[in-house]
Amino acid sequence: MISRNEFLKMGVALPLAMQSLGQRAAAKAKTPPRRIIFINSCLGFYEPYFFPKKRGDLGTSDYLKGMKTLEKMTVFQNLFHPGMDTSNHDSEKSFLTGTPSPEAPNFVNGISLDQVLARKMGGDTRFPFLNFSIYDRGWGCSWNDRGAAIPPMHDEAEIFDLLFKDEDLQATKRRLRNDQTILKNLQRDLAELRRKGSDRGKLESYQKVIAELETQLEHEQFWLNTKKPKVTKSLSEDAAFPFSTKIHNLFELAKLAFQTDSTRVITLSMDWIYGAIKVPGATGGWHSLSHHGGNAGKIAQLSKIEVDTLKHFNRFLVEMDQIKEGNGTLLDHTTVVMGSNFGDSSNHTCNNLPMIVAGGGYRHQAHAVLNGPTPLCNLYLELLHKHGIDAERFGSSKQDMGLLKG
Amino acid sequence: MRFVLGPFTVSLGALLGLCLMAEAKRPPREFAEVAREHFEQYCFDCHDGETKKGEVDLTQLLERAGSDGALVFENLITAKMPPANKQQPKAEERQLMLQWLAQRQKAAAPQSFRRISRHELVHAANDLLGVKLDLTGEIPEDRGTHDFDSDRRVQLTKEMLTAYFTAVDDLLEFALPAKGFEPERVWVTSKLKDSHQSYNIYTRPYEEGILFSWTRANNGNSYSFFYDHFEPPVMGWYELTFDARKLGAFPEDVSLMVFAGKYYYADDRPQPQRLLEVISLGNREMKSHTIRAFLRPGENVSVHCYSKHNFRQRNGKVGAYIKQLKVRGPVHEQWPPRAYREVFAGLPLQVPPREAVSAAVAQTKLQAIGGRITVSSFQKGMEKERMQDGSNRTFWHTRFQPTLAKPPHSVVLENPQVKAIDGLSYATWSGGNGNGQVKAYAIYFSDDGQSWGKPVKAGALEIRLANEQPIIFPKPTTKRFIKFLVTDAYSIDGRSLASIGKLDVMTTLPEPDAKLRVMVDTKSEAALKQVIRRFAERAFASRLTEAELRPYYDVSLAALKEQGDFVAAARLGLKAVLGSHRFLMAPGEHANASYAKAAALSRVLWLSVPDAELLRVASDDQLTGKLLAGQIDRLLSDPKSARMIHSFCDQWLNLREFNKVTPSLKLYPFYDELLNRYLPLETEAYLNHLIQENLPVSRLIDSDFSFLNQRLAQHYGIDGVVGQRMRKVSFGPKVPRGGLLTMGSILKVTADGFDTSPIRRGAWVSQTIAGNTLSPPPENVKAIEPEHGADAATLREQIEQHKNNAACFACHKSIDPYGFALESFDATGQWRTQYRVKLPHRGTFQYRPKGYFKLAGEVDAAGEVGRAKFENVFGLKQILLSQHRKVAYNFAKKFFEYANGYAPSLKQRLDLYAMIPAGAETCRMKDLLRDVMIYSLEGKSE
Repeated sequence: MISRNEFLKMGVALPLAMQSLGQRAAAKAKTPPRRIIFINSCLGFYEPYFFPKKRGDLGTSDYLKGMKTLEKMTVFQNLFHPGMDTSNHDSEKSFLTGTPSPEAPNFVNGISLDQVLARKMGGDTRFPFLNFSIYDRGWGCSWNDRGAAIPPMHDEAEIFDLLFKDEDLQATKRRLRNDQTILKNLQRDLAELRRKGSDRGKLESYQKVIAELETQLEHEQFWLNTKKPKVTKSLSEDAAFPFSTKIHNLFELAKLAFQTDSTRVITLSMDWIYGAIKVPGATGGWHSLSHHGGNAGKIAQLSKIEVDTLKHFNRFLVEMDQIKEGNGTLLDHTTVVMGSNFGDSSNHTCNNLPMIVAGGGYRHQAHAVLNGPTPLCNLYLELLHKHGIDAERFGSSKQDMGLLKG
Repeated sequence: MRFVLGPFTVSLGALLGLCLMAEAKRPPREFAEVAREHFEQYCFDCHDGETKKGEVDLTQLLERAGSDGALVFENLITAKMPPANKQQPKAEERQLMLQWLAQRQKAAAPQSFRRISRHELVHAANDLLGVKLDLTGEIPEDRGTHDFDSDRRVQLTKEMLTAYFTAVDDLLEFALPAKGFEPERVWVTSKLKDSHQSYNIYTRPYEEGILFSWTRANNGNSYSFFYDHFEPPVMGWYELTFDARKLGAFPEDVSLMVFAGKYYYADDRPQPQRLLEVISLGNREMKSHTIRAFLRPGENVSVHCYSKHNFRQRNGKVGAYIKQLKVRGPVHEQWPPRAYREVFAGLPLQVPPREAVSAAVAQTKLQAIGGRITVSSFQKGMEKERMQDGSNRTFWHTRFQPTLAKPPHSVVLENPQVKAIDGLSYATWSGGNGNGQVKAYAIYFSDDGQSWGKPVKAGALEIRLANEQPIIFPKPTTKRFIKFLVTDAYSIDGRSLASIGKLDVMTTLPEPDAKLRVMVDTKSEAALKQVIRRFAERAFASRLTEAELRPYYDVSLAALKEQGDFVAAARLGLKAVLGSHRFLMAPGEHANASYAKAAALSRVLWLSVPDAELLRVASDDQLTGKLLAGQIDRLLSDPKSARMIHSFCDQWLNLREFNKVTPSLKLYPFYDELLNRYLPLETEAYLNHLIQENLPVSRLIDSDFSFLNQRLAQHYGIDGVVGQRMRKVSFGPKVPRGGLLTMGSILKVTADGFDTSPIRRGAWVSQTIAGNTLSPPPENVKAIEPEHGADAATLREQIEQHKNNAACFACHKSIDPYGFALESFDATGQWRTQYRVKLPHRGTFQYRPKGYFKLAGEVDAAGEVGRAKFENVFGLKQILLSQHRKVAYNFAKKFFEYANGYAPSLKQRLDLYAMIPAGAETCRMKDLLRDVMIYSLEGKSE
């Protein structure tokens, strides 16, 4: 890696990278960095199997009792997003933003929690954040500050290459330089049009995107001088259960990204389609089965899908917990938030959301049942505070309730 | 009961126009007063706070600020309300009520601009550069949950802009490659890539080539066979010629499906394959069939054959006999390629000559670097050359007769030119009894072939896998000798043996330096500026001043000064143009209103930029009236309008979701890729025909024809259609096809691949095609996904429950009947009279033509829309045909939204409705589309 002075000699204004240089040096000396991942299982979990039957005892949850990292987990009960009463599946959009009425025709989403965190935590890594989804549908958990969906990545091989495959440095350098020239000239054109009184809204929206792209190019340029980390390609190629394989791989990529400090903020949208999926023991439409209407046969099938998802989740936690880092493990330095926009997807209700917080070095409480319905954004606000962001509110938050101990 | 007015006390009267002359003279408040009286008179009997029929209390609804009254408006304008048996408002009363609703709608003005979609970007850039390179797959979908790509609520993000920039880079490199073009080559092959010999049942050697005779493997996959000795060196267009003929006495054609994709071994994990083209084989004499296909490096060409007659026929004598495949490419329609003429028109070009050369006979990399092989021993007929011949069905084997060679067994590869070797590529001997297949190995290096030292690598190999297995050295070596020592091998009888199907070195061969570089023979700044100007004026659909072009010039001029390469400098300027807000945002910046209209027209109808003629017409700023209508017709009759048809079908009819679900082979064993390809094409061809021929809008609902080929006709049970060319087919009144509702594509996309849900399909058809407006299901309803069990009656009973609950029935009366009528069609769109219920199968799924299901429960397709009863889908169509204005109004709204990126406001809907002729036969597709287009560009005509 080149020195900071050399880098500055190249004549690039680089607030982000400079900050990151300093912080990287500091980080090396001190404690391991904090990371965070959010996972939304868009069709939720069958409540009676998810929540512990006996208050406080995760051993009485059909789904969770077998998990290996129970002592590093808290299951919250009674969290909800206000304003989702008639939202149906649209509530997926608000999972990380808490913006009410996502079903409304003129709905504009808010910024998602991961994006707020990425502003603070994203500068020091090659990728300020990563967002994944199962299907190519163009939106997942992450929404920018203008409420636009940030298209998630869904192709495992592409994500792997992005994270770990070396690129043609000369060509990339040339491209970055050319793009910077182009952006600079586009800015000139924009300024001239603004002077002439062309559509302000249009110009400003483009201006904003260009400015963001310029920052990204600077960020990329800085990281060009650092080789990408090398890891063994540990993705599963099991074609018998593509859905299951996809989830496994996305978790694996999240783990590798954290382990190599390629990013510190990740979202994973476990989205769905109408068609049938296949997991060990069950074939059927995930969505159709989620509307089980209490039918025992359907619940049995549905639970196979949910168990499979949680199996991969468990594996993710276990492996994160096996990677030593500083005085603890990678899991201890990673806050894992797993949940759903649906409390009960069979009836499309968004109360009592199944929410797990794992890792992160908190003093975990196994099963925390809150007194009455509590905005999920209270927990989100608290997560901002825990990650050094001095926010007064987030989404529909009322207050930081100190739900996470330690 | 008092009806309180909302907050809209602006001067309404003035806005109302001629039809409200009487009211217009009164003070504005009274207009609302009159409207209220009409609502009171015609609606409040049922929908007031007390009766609240269907849980709808209009007194509340119309007062509430949050309600924009759209549902009331739609029910009123489509005459769903008041119901037919109630007193109807007079036409002008209805109009006044509608206008009042339109007036009170809080018009959330749509954003004044949008980003162009990835489809528009790719088509436009292709047209500008004169190339055909479909990169939409590489740009993420950003539409979110919105129906239309053009939706103005979709905001451009940095991520999308990055993807756009990357796509533009790729397009420019494809059109004006920095290092030049690959020379054109010709490959001729009749050899298939290796596959397990047990798969010989699907194909067998026949005369000089291959006979394909089986179509479906045990697991239901359509087995494809990969051609060897051809791999596309670069991405581009290739001409594939199959010399082939049909074997078999049946009248139908045999279909050759040509795929491209990553090679996989028959036993192994299938890799996704793209269906390139279908060749319809009807000739019994040998004939050349040529297709053009876009191929990328790393893809192989594979072929799969389909005919209903040779379906899984062991050692069949019918099928497709393919003598050979000849590939030519990458081909260019012109030389120098069109991009140079488009971009550098008028400038002197240096063009190297180009002629096709025969591709070199395949050789191994070891042979290419002059390497040699020695082996520890060999069996006669299984010499070392056998692992260098490109096949892993021929193999090297250690000696076992007359005497058994003792271990160690090894292969030494010599690298006399001491090239850097990255590793070895090993492939097991496939087929046979597997004797000697290597399970574990060790690698040694040596300078002299004598002293070997310690192994540099050891590892295990998969014996069942026929693919190449790479053995990567810890670091590349330039040692002269590399030893592959077999440390463990499979043996059925315990003897020490070794065999290898293929063994080669992994090394980077120097690229043959034969690229053909087209140059522009000038370094003139003026010429460069002219190039940028021409391109920018086409891309931005405007004439431009020097000042406006300055930033774009500067990008290129700086590069020219620095590097001196004219084409490279021009490329940068072109990238700036294609990355500009003037190109990526709509509307752009236009020198006059006609340019803006021209840009919008070509974007909507071609997903592209205007052509020369449209720009010429726009330059005089006269694009209006007859001239505008004429241009719309011209654009529609251009083949590029097929993009609009495709795009509109994708978005309006949701056909982009068509491939998301693969129907269950257990229930629908005959569903296959061939059918899957043509089902959506039927819809596109049909819609295109209705528009081009300006047929009545009612043909959307029903007609006596459709566009079919052999496979579709077979699916629909229509005889006498031979060959896979799509053509117009007329049928009798007993055929339920014709019209969108009963097309396989629509029926498939509204089902989940297993069952059909009358509710889901019904709701979709009701809203999308019949034009009903439904509200989302109320909160906390126990939603169930009904299932077809052994007892079909239960499903129907469950759904009929809706009738007992007024709140449910308010919407479900406009959902369930459509669903019921279409229950006559299964999840693949085939006609049925009974439901299929899945049966379990033992162990691993084994494909069988009779599937795994039993027939249970008769379909009951009867229902009623309003008071009109129907027995089946024929009856339903008749009911819908009687409401042609509703169908046309829906089509107009959808096309408006497609074209403009937002749903029409209630006011605009009134205008749209007014465009629809009262007579069903005079209400025609092209006329309506043209009117909507003109309305979108110019607003209401005075």
